[in-house]
Formats: sequence, structure tokens, C-alpha cells
Amino acid sequence: MSLGLLLPMGLLALAALAVPLLIHLIRRNTREPVEFAALRWLRERPRPRQRLRFDEWLLLAVRLLLIALLAVLLARPVLRGHPDMRPWWVLVPGVPASALPADLPSDARVHWLAPGFPEFAADAAAPTATASPSSLLRELDARLPAGVALTVLVPTVLDGVDAQRPHLSRPVDWRVVEAAVPPARPASALPPTVIALRHPAGCDAACASALRPLQAAAAALAQPPAVQVDVGPATQALPAGTSELWWLGDPPLPASVESWVRAGGTVLVAGANAPFVPAAADAASTVAWADAAGQPLIEARRLGQGRWLRFTRPLQPALFPQLLDADFPHQLQRALQAPPAPPARVLASDHAPLAGAPGYPQPPRDLSHWLIALIASLFVLERWLASGRRSGVAA
Amino acid sequence: MADELIPPQVRSRLRELRLTARRAAGRHGVGLHHSPSRGAGLEFAQYRAYEPGDELRQIDWKLYARSDRFFVREAERESPLTLWLLVDCSASMRQREPGSGQTRLQAACALAACLAQLALQQGDRFGLIGLAESGLQLVPAGTGTRQRDRLWLGLQGLQAEGGFPAPERLAPVWERVAPRDLVVLLGDFFDEQALVLAERLAAARREVIALPLLTSEERDFPFRGGQRFDDPETGEQLAGDGVAMRADYLARFDAARQALAARLDASGIRHATHVLDEPLDLPLRRLFGAHGAAEYA
Repeated sequence: MSLGLLLPMGLLALAALAVPLLIHLIRRNTREPVEFAALRWLRERPRPRQRLRFDEWLLLAVRLLLIALLAVLLARPVLRGHPDMRPWWVLVPGVPASALPADLPSDARVHWLAPGFPEFAADAAAPTATASPSSLLRELDARLPAGVALTVLVPTVLDGVDAQRPHLSRPVDWRVVEAAVPPARPASALPPTVIALRHPAGCDAACASALRPLQAAAAALAQPPAVQVDVGPATQALPAGTSELWWLGDPPLPASVESWVRAGGTVLVAGANAPFVPAAADAASTVAWADAAGQPLIEARRLGQGRWLRFTRPLQPALFPQLLDADFPHQLQRALQAPPAPPARVLASDHAPLAGAPGYPQPPRDLSHWLIALIASLFVLERWLASGRRSGVAA
Repeated sequence: MADELIPPQVRSRLRELRLTARRAAGRHGVGLHHSPSRGAGLEFAQYRAYEPGDELRQIDWKLYARSDRFFVREAERESPLTLWLLVDCSASMRQREPGSGQTRLQAACALAACLAQLALQQGDRFGLIGLAESGLQLVPAGTGTRQRDRLWLGLQGLQAEGGFPAPERLAPVWERVAPRDLVVLLGDFFDEQALVLAERLAAARREVIALPLLTSEERDFPFRGGQRFDDPETGEQLAGDGVAMRADYLARFDAARQALAARLDASGIRHATHVLDEPLDLPLRRLFGAHGAAEYA
């Protein structure tokens, strides 16, 4: 435990100590004459030159102390060390309150593993705000001083964890409690209900050669009544419930179609000659389907709330050999669906954290509040002393 | 309203004091004091041998029958005393006591009121002369509570300004104060002229008592730091450092007070110095109280 200063240059304010010393020097007070009837027995003597005399020692001392403390306050004093070594017990939301042992140490601090680490109260409900348990464990590990014992009570299944076991700086007592398994999160993407395929009205030979594999893929994916396919010329309106639009054509998309995409639709554009890019789409493109060599086959961009995908090469078998693969429709479908959420559920017994990571330095405790209280009380004392003695030099 | 001059604690202690004159003051009338006029009177005093020239009717014949020698019977007669209060009204009486804020003139008036109360208790006559440069403030002597009220009115009207009156202006003092009267002089006695008046009165067979009054600042000189001192009477100014001047001042002031005491004693004048931070009746107890009672608080 040691005192320290965060801003030692603040001590330069100690130069102001000279001010009360100057004020309290005894000086010739020739402004106020004193009536003295026995003047004839007074004789002037030379002033003493070698000694400086000060008036009102106690008030001078209080003022000097006040200025010194203000200079120290400016230098931001802190107290290092002196950590709070009480053990911590943490419960993951979902663990029942009865899981706490009866012989809990009296000075143990019990909290929930939730953002802000609210205190555990036996009769209060569990906090509703949730965050990744791995992230919360790392935060707790960084916040607690080294050497504080940490016990974590977890349910059988943990949700929302990282892909690897947490690496903390202290050993953790990991206790698995039998608890109800929370329901899994809903599946990220439902299979499409209607796939719409649109081609230019007047289809020439090149267009027909590109249309054929797409029609075949759409037919392969059709599973009425769950998945339906709607093929038609470009002018045909999109059926209700369309989740995917395969667009074959050159000119820019009609405004109705573009607004449908912005509202949350997915469009796969297959331009016969030159694939085009709408200007309003995101500049960043992600690869939705890459071949074995890593070259992108379908690029995806976000447009509003929807996705806009395009083939990077013309739909010709010579340039696009994957057209002839048997699982081409399913690859297409996989590319068109939004990427699924990474898996985050794990058995708690398999996810116990590891120790051995380097520790974190603890912030020192700020002493400014105590110092301000002390300075305020000293100021009151100084004002009381200064107003009480009128005979001295009260500044 | 009449009680303001004398503090209440002092009033009760005044009853133990007696105004006494060292020389007997013979006068007509009935009072407390011994009178030299012996003869047929009220109280038996002593027997003395017959001398040719005594009145025959003063001879005690019964004693002659017993002793066959002639003895004259002597008696005493009480006679009153006249108390004159002379209050110095020069500018030096303006000096204030730092603790109570009382001026020297106010303390002198309070002492004068106490002495008048003593005279009233004893049935003596008392009067006031305020020694102001502009003119003497006179309250002719008399007895009774109405005289006391007149005296208090006179005391209220006193102002401290100017210097000591010139000797030519002091004629009313010599007219009013008769021989064998008791004169109490209240002032600071910094001036030579007050002392000269006291000595002259004492030489002219008046009984004089001097009560010098001092403030605690004059006695202790507590000033620290640079000050400028003003003399209210002469207007002289002196600036200096208090601490450096202190030792010298105390020595000279002390010497001056001792010289004053010596001159007063040489003239047979009783005196008791009153410092304004002490109780008011302390000098009166020293002068008029029983021995040893003066130091009682």
C-alpha cells in the first residue's frame, strides 16, 4: 500500500505558499493611528532589521497547510495496493438460487454473470440483460485483483460462448449445476418459399442458353407446396411471398424490383453479356460461392436491407464448369441464403476456463474525495480564525 | 436611570466603606467626624486637669468631692465634612480602555459617583468642580438625594477636551473649597498643572486625596507591530515599532509614576492609582476600607 501522485508537476503550485507568508509579515500600520495619551514617555527606536517577524502564527499555519493541500490535490494523489481480497461467487442467469451452498463464506461477494455484475439478492429475479459468458468472464478476470478466488456456477448448457475455452489469469472453480436447458435460438434462415425467375421478354439464343441451366436448377429446387417456382418474362409481376429473385437480363433493374430488394429481398443477377453493378449498393462485396481454387463465383453485396448477388462469369459451361455439377442447384441455394449464425451452445462441463494468461494491472484508488473534504473543513477553520481575530492582519 | 453610573456589584460593596478625613474638620452642624471644638457638647470624651481660664461650670464637682482636685469634663461634638470632587476634563481623559471601551472620563465620573454615595450615606455635604479648559463646571455643595441627582446631572454633562485650565481660571476652586474640606482629585496626572493644584490645595490646609486613573494599555504597552501614536492633548504624533519601544517606555513611565507618588507623599496627599480594567471600588477600599479588605475582589 503506497501513496503516489499521478501528476507530480502539479506540485509546482507550492510556489503559492509565499503568498500567506508575505501577507502575514508584520508591517508598519501607519494607516490607523492609535490614540495614546502617555505619548510623552515614548521615544522612537530604530526598527529591528535582521529578523522577519510574522503575525498570528496559527492562522498563518492553517493558510500554509491549506495551500499545500490544494497543490497536492492538483497533483492527483492516489493510493496503490490495498486490494479487496474477498472471494467472488458468480452465477450465470438460469442457475437457480438454491444452487448456492449453505456454507458460503461470510465475506464472499455474490453477483450475477451479467453486464454490470449486479449483486445477487435471494428474492430478486435474475437479470434479463445477457451478454456472452466468455466476454463477461474475461471482464471479471481483468477487474478483480490477482489472487481473489473466483467461483462460477453454470447451468448444464451454456449459450453464446466463444469458439474456444476462455483463457483467464487465475484458476476458476467451475461448478456445473443441473438446470433447465434453454431453448435453442430459432434457425437463422427459413428455406425460400417462392423462387421467381425472370428473363427478358424476347429471348435470343445466348439468353436461352443461360436460361436453361437456371430453369433446370429452379425446377430441381421446386418442392410444392413448400417451395414454389415462378418463371416468367421480366415484365411479369413478382408473386406474393417471393423470397428470391433470379434475374436474367442486361438493362438496370426496374424500380419496383429494386425497391423490393431494398426492402429485404435477395436477387441473383445473371447478365448474359456484361454483369452490371447498381451504384447504390455497398462498395464491399463478399464471396457467396467460391470454387475449389478460391476464385469467386458469386459475389454478394448489401443493398438497403436486401442482398444483391451476381455471377462473376457468364453462364457457359466452358467458363463455368460448375454449371454441369449435379449439386449446382443446392450450391446456388446455399450461396443465396444468409450465412447462418456460428454455433454458440456448448456443454458447460466441456467449457471450463483455463488459467495461465498474464494478469492485469489494477487501477490505484483515487484519494481526491477525501482530500477535498479535508480542504473544505480546513477552509471553514481558517475563516473562523480570520474573522475572530480583528487585531491582527486579517487579509 | 440614576443607577447607571455605578455598577451594581460595586454598590453593595460601598456600604462597607467610610469616608474619613485625617485632620478633624470642625464646623457647625451634626456629622460623623471628630471636631476640635471641645466643651459642652453631646458626648463625654475625657477628664483633664483644670487650667486657669477654663469655664467654672465645666468643672466636674462630684469628681472634686471624691479626689479633692479640679477636673474639667470634655465632650465631643460631631460635625459634618464637605467633600469636593475635582474631575480633570482635559483631552487625555478621552483615552479608552480596550476591553470595555470605557473612557477615562467615564471611569472618573463613576468613581465620583461612588464617593458621593459614601458622603450621602454619612450625611456629609458634597459638590463637584469639573476642570475643563472652556470653563469650570460647578455643582455647589449640599446634602441629600436631590444633591446627588444634581451631581449626577453635572457628571453627565462633562466633556473631555482641551488641556488643563490655566491657574488664573481656577479662582472658583479657591473660593468654594474651604479649609479643612476633603478634596478628591480625579484625573490621569500626566500634566504638571494638576499636581501643582493638588500641592497648593494641600499646603492651604485642604485635605487632598489624589486618584490617578490609567488604562491597561498605558500600564502594559501591549502594542506589537508598526503603529502611529497620537497624543490627544498636544496633537503630537509618533510612529514606531511597538515591540522595540516597549521596554524603554515602561521604564520611563514607571519612573514618572514613582516621581508622582513621591511628590504626593511629600505633600501629605493620600493617593491610590486606579487602572481601568480593575474593579471600580478597589482604590476606594485601599483609601477608606479596613486594613486588608482592600484586596478583596
